[in-house]
Amino acid sequence: CSEAYDHGYVASDNAVGQIQVGASREQVLLVLGSPSTTATVGGEAFYYISQHTERMVAFLNQSVTDQKVLAVYFDDKARVKEIGNYGLQDGKVFDFIARKTRTGGADYGLLSQILKAGPANPFTK
Amino acid sequence: CSSTKDDVLDTTPADQLYNEGLINLEAGKRAEAAKKFEDVDRLHPYSTYGKKAVLMQAYTQFQRGSYTDAIQAAQRFVTMYPTSPDAAYAQYLVAESYYRQIPEVSRDQQRTNSALEAYAELIQKYPTSPYAEDGRKKILLVKDQLAGKEMDVGRFYLSKHQYLAAINRFKSVVSDYQTTRHVEEALARLVECYYALGIVPEAKTAAAVLGHNFPESPWYKDSYALLAKGGYEPGEDTGSWISKAFVNVKLF
Amino acid sequence: VDPALFGASIAHAESSIVVRGNKRIEAETIRSYVAGKGRSAADVDAGLKALYATNLFSDVKIASEGGTLVITVVEAPQINKVVFEGNKRLTDEQLGSVIQIKSRGFMSKASVQSDVQRLLEAYRRNGRYRAQVEAKVISLADNRVNLVYEIDEGDKTAVTRIGFVGNHAYSAGRLRDVVKTRETGLLGWLRSTDTYDPERLQSDQDLIRKFYMKNGYADFRIVSATADLDRERNVFFVSFTIDEGDQYSFGDIDVQTSLAGLDQAKLARVVGTKSGNTYSSDDVEKTMEALTYEATQAGYAFATVRPRAVRDYATHKISITYYVEEGARVYVERINVRGNDRTRDYVVRREMDMSEGDAYNKALVSKAERRLNRLGYFKSVKLNTEQGSSPDRVVVNIDVEEQSTGEIGFGAGYSTTDGVLGDVSFSEKNFLGRGQFIKASVQLGQKQRGWGFSFTEPYFLGYRISAGFDVYQKQYLENDYRNYEQRDTGGTLRFGLPITENLTFGVNYTINDQRIKLNATQANDNYSDGEASLAYKRYVCPSYQPGNSAACGNWSRTRLTSAPGYSLVYNSLDSLQFPRDGAYAKFTQEFAGAGGDARFVRTTFDARYYREIWADWGIIGMARVKGGNITGIGESVELFDNFFLGGETIRGFAPQGIGPRDQSVSGTGYKLNESLGAKNYVAGTLEATMPFPGTPEEFGLYVSTFADAGLAWGVDSKSLPKKGTYGSGSSAVTFNYVDDMALRSSVGAGLVWRSPFGPLRADFAIPLSKSKYDQTQYFRFSGGTTF
Repeated sequence: CSEAYDHGYVASDNAVGQIQVGASREQVLLVLGSPSTTATVGGEAFYYISQHTERMVAFLNQSVTDQKVLAVYFDDKARVKEIGNYGLQDGKVFDFIARKTRTGGADYGLLSQILKAGPANPFTK
Repeated sequence: CSSTKDDVLDTTPADQLYNEGLINLEAGKRAEAAKKFEDVDRLHPYSTYGKKAVLMQAYTQFQRGSYTDAIQAAQRFVTMYPTSPDAAYAQYLVAESYYRQIPEVSRDQQRTNSALEAYAELIQKYPTSPYAEDGRKKILLVKDQLAGKEMDVGRFYLSKHQYLAAINRFKSVVSDYQTTRHVEEALARLVECYYALGIVPEAKTAAAVLGHNFPESPWYKDSYALLAKGGYEPGEDTGSWISKAFVNVKLF
Repeated sequence: VDPALFGASIAHAESSIVVRGNKRIEAETIRSYVAGKGRSAADVDAGLKALYATNLFSDVKIASEGGTLVITVVEAPQINKVVFEGNKRLTDEQLGSVIQIKSRGFMSKASVQSDVQRLLEAYRRNGRYRAQVEAKVISLADNRVNLVYEIDEGDKTAVTRIGFVGNHAYSAGRLRDVVKTRETGLLGWLRSTDTYDPERLQSDQDLIRKFYMKNGYADFRIVSATADLDRERNVFFVSFTIDEGDQYSFGDIDVQTSLAGLDQAKLARVVGTKSGNTYSSDDVEKTMEALTYEATQAGYAFATVRPRAVRDYATHKISITYYVEEGARVYVERINVRGNDRTRDYVVRREMDMSEGDAYNKALVSKAERRLNRLGYFKSVKLNTEQGSSPDRVVVNIDVEEQSTGEIGFGAGYSTTDGVLGDVSFSEKNFLGRGQFIKASVQLGQKQRGWGFSFTEPYFLGYRISAGFDVYQKQYLENDYRNYEQRDTGGTLRFGLPITENLTFGVNYTINDQRIKLNATQANDNYSDGEASLAYKRYVCPSYQPGNSAACGNWSRTRLTSAPGYSLVYNSLDSLQFPRDGAYAKFTQEFAGAGGDARFVRTTFDARYYREIWADWGIIGMARVKGGNITGIGESVELFDNFFLGGETIRGFAPQGIGPRDQSVSGTGYKLNESLGAKNYVAGTLEATMPFPGTPEEFGLYVSTFADAGLAWGVDSKSLPKKGTYGSGSSAVTFNYVDDMALRSSVGAGLVWRSPFGPLRADFAIPLSKSKYDQTQYFRFSGGTTF
């Protein structure tokens, strides 16, 4: 009863093979579609990130079972300079930093929520 | 028709009503003060007090914290008297009223956006007014809150290992909210996302830009440690979009 | 535009623009709307429009007299007061919220006319077609006016008859239940739906169409829906002319797919539209969603399903072929959560399995919508998409409208066993917007007291595990069916782990301190004022002998039960409060013995199946089987750990009315008859519930008929005194008890009212078969939530 999900870019079967070094940016966009995220303001590199996750049992979180990144780097004449492939094995596993940058804004206290007053803000009449 | 009889007789002159309003305001009885100013506005719209009454109404409602009424009155003043010297203050009151209602980041930031628009209008329409200066400062704070919202969602996706979704959220902070305090953390989170995906050049660039602009930041120390652990030094790959985004921004 | 430049052009234009006719609005304000623009006809027109847009002026003319621009304005009078007269049905506030121009606003002829229309529309919406509204303007000094709306509401134009033309398959009465508009009648004063509302008539047509489409009438169409106003009698006749067409059933069903690697058999299994069943558009939609979901699970993120129906008019069969194909490659650029003024963003976002950057997947969107609705925090949840920043990008907006999830409840109830019961409770389903649940309650009653507090976190440590705890104390005082006082104090720690959308595995640990106490009259060896069973006395004071109860102190015994346990719950009901369809099954096991005084394994199961057996009259059938067993581990089961069963399990019997019973006879000939509880029980119910005929649906009154049957047997003889005579003289007692496998059964009828604080039931049942010693009770009243 496990569930499977495909996140991010979904490669249409043979499209990836058609991109060679020297192809133009427009060709890449035509064949692969718009990238999941671009790496440069001017479009120096396209990243096509896809991830396959599975969830054995409903209460667990989705666990990443496969992760592929297709990186297409362009030279300054917007021609494909280099193509990189990253797989799940390249990914590093580590703990994310727990600290958070503090933010402001009125928050709800227990009482203000029960009495349906707005967020705990001293000025509310 | 009977109901309007009591008003017609109410011929107390505008200035007396207006002063009663002021006295109430000094005495801290804001609700009565607001009522008095409302009467002046209603009964003597064409008197000089009529115009002042609209502004005083906005001010009193603002002091009482009933921001919706304050916004309504201030907005009316700005529409009727856009070129009056007090129009800037009225516009400032509109912006401040939204600002005071900004909710915590994990909630709908619709009021934060309204505050941003109101301050922007203040600076655009009345650039030389005394309030424009505070307006510019407040815009930074409001943008900081909006950046905080992007970070909040970004961290949600990061915790779920949805690196693509997280990258796009943190990226929007680095591109659109460079002047906020969150840009440091956004860069550090990008280091984490790219590193987890294994795209080491981007991770190194993000860390390098972070180090270059915020050498003392704890975020940089963490990113540096993370990369060092994996054996990579933060070298700036100038081609990457992050350094491009920072080229035309003169930080510190 | 650089402000400096802006300033200069004003100076140049300043001299050449003259403003006339303004009183309150300063000249340079008016100039600011026109200055900075050129002199062409278009610019002038733009300036004209800008000035009108401020709606500060009732008339503006711009003309150029030799080089200078002359703007003559007539300022719109300012409204001093807006007054409504003659309105009874709609209050001033309601009317005030409808009109646009308010006190201190500016008045123009056009805006007054449109407000008059708005007022008339408001009255039409409330079914008053004869209402008239007249606007009167009373001018005051210096261009101020009072605006008075004189209203003559006229009396209500009700809908007296809803007729149907062309309905053969279903009676007019049945169709009247489908639509929302109701015929006026005795309860006309109470209802608002018996008025004519064009919008409601429109949605009624959809309701009828959906109803027919669900029951096989694929060709159904509405020829016309008319509402004729009879002016004299001030009533409406609503009539729907419909063309039912024939009833269709499904012909052969087929699934075609061009996507390689999709397992045809797996797809076919998911199809909900079986050939032979009556055609239903609902089933087709459900099947399309299920097929999309299967395809996306198999990796085709962009799969879409296109059904193609072939109609065979002769055999009235519709064959459907589902084409599963590659749809448009569209990605989700961003997911916005909006309207959450209290709920935190992640509480909504975590219900969506699709993340930003993923392929847009309709099945996951509707799944998220269902989940968000089931949370119960929102009045409405709408998920819609809008175009993203590029053609293959969309933005998904989750618009939620929050509802108050906190309740402060004051309940007063009566139960035939525990008399009057008062209850004060506070509960919050979306605590601090984190989706957490807390509830605190206090019960005060003649025979029952207690308090309780519980807390649940639905996403424990970020997993979809619901973790929570309850702390409680319940005190049952002695009453005519219970010859002892019982007080339970304890707490539970519980974790719920959903295995699939419907199946949840639960792990819990309960610790409970139980005190059983006999009051003076029950243990004073005087059988005339009622005496407890010897079994109870021995439970509380093992060394008791009739005649000398010195060593028994205050006749109370406390035992601690510490029991980890697990549960399996399957729930596919369409709604928890009032199920019409689906099944609910719960299996629990507790292992008392991790410390504490008791050692036993207690197993219970409870399975219910609901089905709408006759959709026409809304009759819902329910079949239920439940049972339990308790077995000692290395020791006998103590008396008060048994199941004490009665009317709540098999109706028609008194509380604790069935199962093994004490049949002792005292020296003075007094016959005891108290329940000794049972180690095993099994019971079944068959019940049919339908809306109480004649009452409107919004009352929530239902009538049900049922048949209950079951057995309760088994008691550990080692934890009871041996049969025989004890003591002598008037305090002597011959202890005896009966434990048989007699089948208890009963039939009866019940009245159910779905009140705001949960369903209340009154049941009347007659036992058909019982054991000779059982205690019966024909009438039973109970309230509160059932799950």
